[in-house]
Amino acid sequence: MTFKTLAALFDELPLHDGMTVSFHHHLRDGDAVMNTILEAMEERDVKDIHLRASALFPVHTVAERLVAAGRIERITTNYMNGPLALLVSKGSLRGEVVMQTHGGRARSLIDNERPVDVAFLAAAAVDRDGNATGREGKNPFGSMGYAVEDALHAAVTVIVTDTVLDEPLTNPQIPAREVDHILLVDAIGDAQGIMSGTLEMTKDPLGKRIARDAVGLLDALGIFRDGVSFQSGAGGTSLAISAGFNRILAERGLTASFFSGGITRYQVEALEEGLVERLYDVQCFDDVAVASLARNDNHIAISASRYANPKDPERIIKDLDVVILGASQVDVDFNVNVTTDSYGRIIGGSGGHADTAEEAKLTVIVAPLFRGRTPLIVDRVRTITTPGKDVDCLVTERGIAVNPARKDLQDRLREQKVPFFTIEELQDICHRFTGRPAETKRHDRIGQVESRHGTEQDTLHKIKGE
Amino acid sequence: MARSYLFIPGNVPRMLTNADVFEADALIIDWEDAIHANEKDEARELTTAYLESHRPEDTLVYVRINSEAGLIEKDIEALRESTIDGVCLPKASSSVLARYEELFSDKDPYPVIALVETPTAFFELDRIAAHEHVFALFLGGEDFRTAIRAQRTENDEEILLARSMVVLAARAQDVTAVDTPFTSLQEEGLAADCLRAKALGFDAKSAIHPDQVATINRTFSPSEKEIRNALRIVKRHEEEESMRFSLDGKMVDKPVIERAKSLLEKARLYGLLPREDKE
Amino acid sequence: MKKEIITGSLESSDCLIRVAPADSLEIELETVVREGYYDHIKKLLEETVRAEEVDRVRIVCQDRGALDYTIKARLRVALRKFKEEGHG
Repeated sequence: MTFKTLAALFDELPLHDGMTVSFHHHLRDGDAVMNTILEAMEERDVKDIHLRASALFPVHTVAERLVAAGRIERITTNYMNGPLALLVSKGSLRGEVVMQTHGGRARSLIDNERPVDVAFLAAAAVDRDGNATGREGKNPFGSMGYAVEDALHAAVTVIVTDTVLDEPLTNPQIPAREVDHILLVDAIGDAQGIMSGTLEMTKDPLGKRIARDAVGLLDALGIFRDGVSFQSGAGGTSLAISAGFNRILAERGLTASFFSGGITRYQVEALEEGLVERLYDVQCFDDVAVASLARNDNHIAISASRYANPKDPERIIKDLDVVILGASQVDVDFNVNVTTDSYGRIIGGSGGHADTAEEAKLTVIVAPLFRGRTPLIVDRVRTITTPGKDVDCLVTERGIAVNPARKDLQDRLREQKVPFFTIEELQDICHRFTGRPAETKRHDRIGQVESRHGTEQDTLHKIKGE
Repeated sequence: MARSYLFIPGNVPRMLTNADVFEADALIIDWEDAIHANEKDEARELTTAYLESHRPEDTLVYVRINSEAGLIEKDIEALRESTIDGVCLPKASSSVLARYEELFSDKDPYPVIALVETPTAFFELDRIAAHEHVFALFLGGEDFRTAIRAQRTENDEEILLARSMVVLAARAQDVTAVDTPFTSLQEEGLAADCLRAKALGFDAKSAIHPDQVATINRTFSPSEKEIRNALRIVKRHEEEESMRFSLDGKMVDKPVIERAKSLLEKARLYGLLPREDKE
Repeated sequence: MKKEIITGSLESSDCLIRVAPADSLEIELETVVREGYYDHIKKLLEETVRAEEVDRVRIVCQDRGALDYTIKARLRVALRKFKEEGHG
């Protein structure tokens, strides 16, 4: 059914205390949908809400308020930052926070773990039959990858949109048969905030140095060849590495097989220049990617399951050669933390970090050796986002470390006369600047980091209130 | 034998701490133009504290001190116990150099990069270059341009004479010639500017931003072709045990062999020798 | 109004030091790396004051992730100016 008002929709929904509602984060920091829905739930006095969002951003102020008021009881997500994350870190949730991975979230939805009662999924447009897409409409955001499993597996699926198309959609990402209701709103979000994932290549000379060395490392390891597959994040240093990667492909007349993950204009340019055969796009980071997805058949929108679900036999990342990832901390066993800062405050989350690290043949972490006075390399990361067994190399501005488990890589680098350190040596270099931080106490448990396979990987602790 | 001299402001901790990761052969920590008059004390203390605890091992370190009376004394006093490789002396002239020397009563003065940027300096350039402690002449193009009331032209024609004079004086006295920095932060233009400087005979160039270092290093490194050629000359020289022979129909004699050897030395220093020739 | 001496800045990797006359030695520290380094920085400040032989002074340090050399340098300059002005 199509509803023009929230009230009419909510009269139809099976509301109950303790219900689980889900959202996707394709609108990023421009999302208006979650705030609208949560306000309506508050009005209907729904209590003990379990919020399952693929990611949470500073724009989600209603969630923040409802956590503080105790109305949201539990949160399950793959990433969160801003004031809401701080509030959760301070222990404001009555129930637990569970930090999943993109692949793990898809897997758990399919396996019916923490089942979703109602999925509220923003779409850029629907046609008259109720097929939904992210590509057209007033606020196009491209791929709807993180919404597909919600639509398929939630008990009730509500599409929230601001555009109804007269022409039928030929290739919808969410087919009408999976849609129970459609809610029409004035705007699903604010275009500027939606593109807040847009990042520029780093201007920071430190980031550029790291990017240069990372590309040099890939070259020494013989990565550059026809058919190579590659993924990197949308952080400034990662984008500089993408640009360097493309430059080498162009110089040597090579063609990569695919780039995957979140897609930016850097990958689109490579596709259009014939440097890569296909883009597998779970999320568009900028309007160039959105436009490309709409017109280029080799720019393929994929679901989160197809992207990274460990149980999906067709998952793209099982064929991934190289992934470049960031870190807030790395420890001497190569465990990586991108979930919390050094003191346990939630500042992000895995997203696809742990998924791609486990599957890619080569996982390279790039990060500055210290930020301000805070060391990158520690004896034990505060929170394990990605286990060290899945991490192969670390590139910092003062040197490279290689996981001792990857003797093959070490041999290759020796052969190529590329200098590298043990991670303990790099840690010593770091400590020469920062000194060794004092041991910090851990406070009460607030939740867990869940591995992509669904097991508890690490505990999240409350931070001391200021 | 530095190719690149990177300026780092002397009162910014974040930049000092990372100064050595940008692959510049030499750093010039600035206490002069980059530092406001009421921050000079802080810059002196911060720089010396940095050098005490984090002196970069594989990078040459110079400090651009102030030439004015009242500041130069304090600058030299602050550097008394320092491990710097030398100073960069702005507004260099015979009298500034004389004052500089006087401040070292109990120890040898630090080697000097003479920053020539005043019109009068060009009328005693040979004396400056010949000064006992001067090991490099460094053209300060911006101040020079202002001082002679010139306008910037597309190919920097207005400083061509000054550039050539610096190279000439450096060659006459066997010191290093360092070119003025490229002042635009746009990437384009830098490579051409470096090539122009190299063609004029400069040995090195200064950088005002870390991003400029890679291009400068590349330009002022011996090229692959130059290295290959030098290797052939030296090999032939060793095989024939001769100081005079012909190669590819050209006569090779002592100056050519020595130039080849010094080029290979530079290439070795910057890790540019082909693999089998390392160690 | 007692005259205050200020050195450093609130830029990242720097610290702002304020020094003013007091009846005894007082040190106030606010730092972004409180959990890992509070005690260490406090001790560093105390040692630096002792080395400069000043004891009737109030020191406020607002640290933005400065390394030891920076904290030491900022405090030393502040204390030397403090002494030049006839305090201590």
